[in-house]
Amino acid sequence: MPMRHVAIVLGIAGFWAGLTAPAVAHAPGTLGFVIRDWFTAIHESKFMDECPEGLNIGNDEFWWRSQPKDLRARITGNGLERASRRYWEVMGRGPNGEDICMNPTLIKDPPLRVAEGKIGYGDNLDGTTDGHATAKTCKHDKYTSPDGKTGIDNQMARLVGCTFGWRKSGMVELHANEERGTAGHGMILVEVTGVTDPRNSDDVTVTFYRSIDQYTIDGTGQPLPFSTYRIETYNGKPRYADSLKGKIKDGVLTTDRGDVKLPFYGNNAFMHPVIKDMALRLEIAADGNTATGMLTGYYDVERFMYAMGSVGQVLQTAQVSCPAMYVAAHQLADGYPDPKTGECTMLSSAFKIKAYAAFVQHPQKERRQASR
Amino acid sequence: MRRHFKTIASVAVTVAVTVAALTACGPKEPASEGGTPEMRRLTEEQYRNTVGDLFGPTITFGGRFDPLARTDGLIQLGARTARVTPSGFEQYYTLARSIAAQVVDEEHRETLISCTPADPKTADDACARKFYAQVGRLLYRRPLTDDEIKTPTVAAHDVATSMQNFYNGLAYGLAGMMVGPKFLFVMENTEADPDRKGEVRLNADARASRLSFLLWNSMPDDMLLTAASKGELFTKEGVKRQVDRMVASPKLEGGVRAFFTDFLDLRKFETLEKDPVIYPSFNVKAGEDAKEQILRTIADHVVTRELDYRDLFITRHTFVTAALARIYRIPAGRPDGGWTAYEFAESGPRAGLVAQIGFLAVNSHPGRSSPTIRGRAVREVLLCQKVPDPLSNVDFSLFNDPNSPHRTARQRLTAHAVTPACAGCHKITDPIGLGLENFDGSGALRNMENGEAIDASGDVDGIAFKDAKGLEKALRDSPAVPTCLVNRLYAYALGRPIESGDKNAVAYFQEAFAKDDYRVPALLRRLTASDAFFKVRLPKSEAATQARATDGLSAKDTPS
Repeated sequence: MPMRHVAIVLGIAGFWAGLTAPAVAHAPGTLGFVIRDWFTAIHESKFMDECPEGLNIGNDEFWWRSQPKDLRARITGNGLERASRRYWEVMGRGPNGEDICMNPTLIKDPPLRVAEGKIGYGDNLDGTTDGHATAKTCKHDKYTSPDGKTGIDNQMARLVGCTFGWRKSGMVELHANEERGTAGHGMILVEVTGVTDPRNSDDVTVTFYRSIDQYTIDGTGQPLPFSTYRIETYNGKPRYADSLKGKIKDGVLTTDRGDVKLPFYGNNAFMHPVIKDMALRLEIAADGNTATGMLTGYYDVERFMYAMGSVGQVLQTAQVSCPAMYVAAHQLADGYPDPKTGECTMLSSAFKIKAYAAFVQHPQKERRQASR
Repeated sequence: MRRHFKTIASVAVTVAVTVAALTACGPKEPASEGGTPEMRRLTEEQYRNTVGDLFGPTITFGGRFDPLARTDGLIQLGARTARVTPSGFEQYYTLARSIAAQVVDEEHRETLISCTPADPKTADDACARKFYAQVGRLLYRRPLTDDEIKTPTVAAHDVATSMQNFYNGLAYGLAGMMVGPKFLFVMENTEADPDRKGEVRLNADARASRLSFLLWNSMPDDMLLTAASKGELFTKEGVKRQVDRMVASPKLEGGVRAFFTDFLDLRKFETLEKDPVIYPSFNVKAGEDAKEQILRTIADHVVTRELDYRDLFITRHTFVTAALARIYRIPAGRPDGGWTAYEFAESGPRAGLVAQIGFLAVNSHPGRSSPTIRGRAVREVLLCQKVPDPLSNVDFSLFNDPNSPHRTARQRLTAHAVTPACAGCHKITDPIGLGLENFDGSGALRNMENGEAIDASGDVDGIAFKDAKGLEKALRDSPAVPTCLVNRLYAYALGRPIESGDKNAVAYFQEAFAKDDYRVPALLRRLTASDAFFKVRLPKSEAATQARATDGLSAKDTPS
């Protein structure tokens, strides 16, 4: 599921003493993080210049337009029923009443309005300056970041940038983030090991786990820093444990690129997207309580569309046409071409993340402490 | 569970052996003048413990009681002058009715009522009398007189008849007993001392209560009252047998916890509030756990492991929950909120009771730390020293000004203390409290305040230190620390303040405590085995009257 702004909860090790940050007592050499907020990095201009034709219309409106007046009146109770009450009718626009978000190729809607413009967030994933096709990528447009960095790839932002559900106040990612907070499912833990200094370490390993504990929140609903989270295991081993090498410089964690399978949960749907060529950049706050940053890489089109089809009623508020988005997603895909068709299968992406300090507890540590 | 009992048994054996040896060869107890016998209201915890011991844990009740004043450093002493207000009586009455109703309900009556009425739809005086005699002995902590049994029996008869329900009547009579002063107040009755003409002694039942409320913080049980009725509590051997049994009981921990709750003034946790914006991690759960952490640490240290009391101030061994771990910034052993043992790192900034979240947070303001409050708490609570109250017209503008040029508490206090009227007291408190400035108002560690490095140096009674661990070491080595504990425990055990006539006895216990390597169970043994523990005298004016009135009479109960 693409996201605009990701929050991670980090657990930080015991070498803060002497810094401006509060001291932390922890196993030396380890930082822990857990992601709280995760939003697709869309550059939203003040006057919505990136969407000159306006925002997309969604499934509900397409359904509305397709129905005769008397049927609409009957199903909507003469306009008295909320849109959410006709969710199943709206989704069942397939030729035989099929769910058109789960089967987005069954019908055709007018083309999706995709985001335009030159400014966007992300990283240069293909290494080119102009987005020309390579053995690993398809031709695409590049962005320049707001702070002047050129060659930015972020086709995911183009795909969802003019769809209300992914923009500010949109519910798709906001709801997913909040739901993780209340359900406690699919929270991403990030553990940084090999840390010699929490502000400067040349060689660290960053590993991504899934938590089985819920957030502990404060009076405002935000996670409390330095909570402890147990990692999920399967057959005695961590269910998710992909790693990247990285470094910390002046409190900023950056990783090399690599393929990472991440846990995810939101809008009643579980996912485990594999983000190819993924890298993480996190700025750790001086007080050590939080960290913000960006996660970039290639996101699989089919996995994205499948997840979107599982989202459910949140889509009713998102103003999105699944068939139109499916077509656009394949058109915008810029990474990992299919060997047979040559069509790219993945979207360059960037996600904004917010994280809170946390402790990542491994099963063996849990057992050891419990036996004391 | 088995391990727990094993530990307790081990402690008991150790204590028994130690005390047997020490009483044989330790310092000799000086003669004690004794104090006047007292009457004091049950504390809330004593009330709850008594109901729990008498009727079992399935009897549930809420409610709060009128607060007791803390006098001479102990709530136990404030209970001597406690009254029952009209609203407090209403609370007692509501509780008593609730408890009595549960005792006679269908779930409990078979196990809690030893007789069955001939007809449950009418009164049964014989069954009621039997019940009130049995329960009343434990409620009143002594055998009941015939009149005391008759009163609830008559009440129960009337209600049972009018309501055509024996159990409703029984509950009515029981509730009446539970709102009476004979239950709500511990009365130390005396009798003429047959060995010392013209003097009085605590009667056997009062001795049982002294023992049980000191060691268990609850009523005497059946075995203790039976021993009392046989006169065994008038002999050293008889007392020792009972103390052996009581120290071996799991309820000893409850007694020790109750003393330290009182001694350390942990009642302050009931009104502890922190600004959730400034200290988001310090929620209600953290506050509750912080208090419990102090008590767990103490119980483990002084009861389970029977270690040197002074080492409480330097121990790195404690227990934490997830709520506390967040503030300590350590991994929680159990993210589900349960307790796990934890050892603070030797190289870390924390050790000892004073550096625990509980002490730091409860002795701070809602939104910031307070070296003055912390210093005062150390002086008054741990060292038994009196710090004068602040003047009523103190200018706090330096502390409340958000644009103050003084970034750290040390700077603010230095500026504030130029006022001569304030300087005197701050010299007493601040050099101690500033040693804890590396911990904010929630007890979390910090190295900076408003961007400026914190200087946590200070001194306590001429002993300089650099940080909190230095302060704790100074307290650990301070002779005033064990002396204070002995003084407070002596007063707590006897239920009255230390008087001039106690000087020698207190000095004896202080010396004995040192010889016992500052083990609290050993001190409890010494105390309960001493003459001073049970020694009472009438007030001088009454003593003369008493002497005349009882001259030539045999020993007989005389209400104090």
